[in-house]
Amino acid sequence: MILYTPLAETDIFPVSEAELNKRHCVSHNGRQLYVEEMEDGQFQLLQVLSTDPNDFMNPDYTPGTIL
Amino acid sequence: MDKDQEKKGDQNQGDQANNSALVQKIQQLGQSNVPQAPDSNIHVLSIIGQVEGHVQLPAQNKTTKYEHMLPQLIAIEQNPKIEGLIVLLNTVGGDVEAGLALSEMIASISKPTVSVVLGGGHSIGVPIAVSADYSYIVPTATMTIHPIRLNGLVIGVPQTFEYMDKMQDRVIDFVIRQSNIEEEKFKELMFAKGNLTRDIGTNVVGDDAVEYGLIDGIGGVTQAMQKLNEMIDENKGPEEQVIQ
Repeated sequence: MILYTPLAETDIFPVSEAELNKRHCVSHNGRQLYVEEMEDGQFQLLQVLSTDPNDFMNPDYTPGTIL
Repeated sequence: MDKDQEKKGDQNQGDQANNSALVQKIQQLGQSNVPQAPDSNIHVLSIIGQVEGHVQLPAQNKTTKYEHMLPQLIAIEQNPKIEGLIVLLNTVGGDVEAGLALSEMIASISKPTVSVVLGGGHSIGVPIAVSADYSYIVPTATMTIHPIRLNGLVIGVPQTFEYMDKMQDRVIDFVIRQSNIEEEKFKELMFAKGNLTRDIGTNVVGDDAVEYGLIDGIGGVTQAMQKLNEMIDENKGPEEQVIQ
């Protein structure tokens, strides 16, 4: 399918709110994490919200980690 | 015999757990161990994707949420172990007031701050880039300077225009205050015709941004770290002399 339109993609294919509601900002061991709730109820790490460069080196908080 | 087997069983389970952790790590990062760094006195704030303000954007957008950034900036100001801040920018712009909030926060931090524009620092990325004490841009990065716009419900009355005009002035005033660019030049770039295909404004590439005085220097990670370390040393210089 090819779309030729000045509209934004999201105007044509609205994103379900359920998708957004699955994402949460949580505090885990003193760190702020942005996580997505998976279908089995576990949380998968999307983003570490930190300014400490070492937090990004922590192997326990790599993107995709299941908490 | 039985005990030996049990032990072996335990060991196997332990091995399996180790293996699965290893496999998970390889799946996530493509490598088995991650290098460790010593404690850093410099913190990094990355502003990537769209600057998200009052409206939550759909899930596929990569956004920087300003409500996540503000407490971190306060934490940086409060923590005595943190001596400097690097702001990395690769943003397409976004919410004006969220962007201005971030800019004012970075500008009012007492610790030395250096920003680096990588890739792009467009629209509201411009005030964020100039908010640091010293700003760098990599030669390939660009900054689009253009008038602000409004989406959603707009009431067609003169007051709407005045409101937008005032908001525009807030952005211009901030950039003029924080950078070395002349007001006339900045406005000229902002309202230029024929540079952008469907819009009014100018796409300023790295070298030009420095030439206009918008950004302080051309450089990447090395230059930014050097400058920040210099500023940190200057910052704590006099106190140490007194002790001697």
